[in-house]
Amino acid sequence: MFGKVKYAVPLVLALGTAGADESFIGMAPEEILQALIDESGSPYLSQSPQNLQMMPDNPALWVAEDGEAMFEEPRGPKNVSLEGCDFGKGPGVLKGAYVELPRYFADTGKVMDLETRLVHCMITLQGFTKDDPPVKTRHGSASDMMKLQTYIAMQSNGMKWDPPMDHPLEKALRDAGEVLFYRRSGPMDFSCQTCHGATGSRIRASVLPNVNEPAEWTKAISWPAERAGQQNVRSTQHRLRGCLWQMRYPGIIAGSDASIALISFWTDVARGQPAIMPDLKR
Amino acid sequence: MSKNITTKVALVALATTVLVTGIPAATSAAESDKAITVDYTKMSAEALAEHLLFNANGFKLEQLVQEGGPAGKRLEQDEIQKLCTPLRNKPVDSATAEKVTAIARDSIRYPEGGIELGDWKIGRELAWSGFGYRVGHKTDDHSLAKNGPGGNCYNCHQLATDRTGGNIGPPLTGYGKLRGTSDAMLKYTYDVIYNAHAYFACTHMPRLGANGILSSEQISHIMAYLLDPESPVNE
Repeated sequence: MFGKVKYAVPLVLALGTAGADESFIGMAPEEILQALIDESGSPYLSQSPQNLQMMPDNPALWVAEDGEAMFEEPRGPKNVSLEGCDFGKGPGVLKGAYVELPRYFADTGKVMDLETRLVHCMITLQGFTKDDPPVKTRHGSASDMMKLQTYIAMQSNGMKWDPPMDHPLEKALRDAGEVLFYRRSGPMDFSCQTCHGATGSRIRASVLPNVNEPAEWTKAISWPAERAGQQNVRSTQHRLRGCLWQMRYPGIIAGSDASIALISFWTDVARGQPAIMPDLKR
Repeated sequence: MSKNITTKVALVALATTVLVTGIPAATSAAESDKAITVDYTKMSAEALAEHLLFNANGFKLEQLVQEGGPAGKRLEQDEIQKLCTPLRNKPVDSATAEKVTAIARDSIRYPEGGIELGDWKIGRELAWSGFGYRVGHKTDDHSLAKNGPGGNCYNCHQLATDRTGGNIGPPLTGYGKLRGTSDAMLKYTYDVIYNAHAYFACTHMPRLGANGILSSEQISHIMAYLLDPESPVNE
């Protein structure tokens, strides 16, 4: 049970129930965001009307188109497509797969997120090695990795975050992730909560999402998303790396169990809220 | 706090015992041929978190950092971090507050020759700069910073009104105008910058002095930015 610690914030927000009961399937990402804004009055969600206006033209949409073609194309030394890849709901089933990650996979015995599972399929199904550029290059809209991730994640747009918690390993990593989220560490004594623990918290001009508010947190974790200021679509692992970098932690290793633990926790926090795929962020 | 001592004991027990269990088991470092297999499901959340930090190929622990030594050292919690972590920002109980403020006050070192105000123009740049101490995929080279790594004050505080500051900490606009520059005020301001836990146990604010982020010369410039009547903070 993750602690719902709230500051004595003078705002009364309807955030707790926003998004919980209705269906967002069939809605465009900006419509989902607008609906959450209308219901919640969240300062985080509503901080940029310009961002909302740009969403129909999100460059991530084109990256996803490239990803769809790449997904279906026979590639690698084994010359097969990724349509045989099981992302948790069966080989080739993409609808709703992303919102049920991270999850335990029996064939590897590990809890995996989208990136680690995709890497696994590119290696085992298509025959790439971990050092081949299509696998090794994790960042940038021009990368195979981001094209594929953006496409796959987009198939869960509007669906509710629902990572499984039945397997003991799923629960173990999620709980360890919660401990990591609240751990005061490093030369700045930062935990994730230092910045993400209160509604309306702002770093300079940017309003931050509050981990205790699911309607805010669903946008917070909606990656892959185009970073407007970086002119690239960024992944979940990239966001995590960026946070820890600013927190002055040592560099996190992509796909490590430490990264899976944090991602498991933060996805569980958004449970029941609609994913905004792809998202657009500053 | 006993929870963390228990964690250390558990870790030692783990390290000296090879736990090979039936399905399910998770190999801690996927690419290594380590003989030890660790069962995450048998560990407490705290023990697993420590394991993932230090023993599961999760972080670049050996990378050299700006203050010297390996990056892994940054993840070792000190006394104040251990005392404050379980609170999760709930209001501090008086027992913890007493311990934390005592440790914090004990840590404060004053400059030789006493506390003096430096140059507010340098303080302005240091308060704005968020450069310094970042490692990982992109390491901050401190030799590139003319006045040294910044204090990043604007991240959390509003200071002068010509720039946008955050609201994680209280606004400091008009700080000097409201308080003056008595010896007591100089000491208080220095103490808070050096180790804010001296007054605010388990504060969000980093320990700019105690953790070696800012030198005493840099602190004097930032104090001038806060207290000098000529500073834009006090317009």
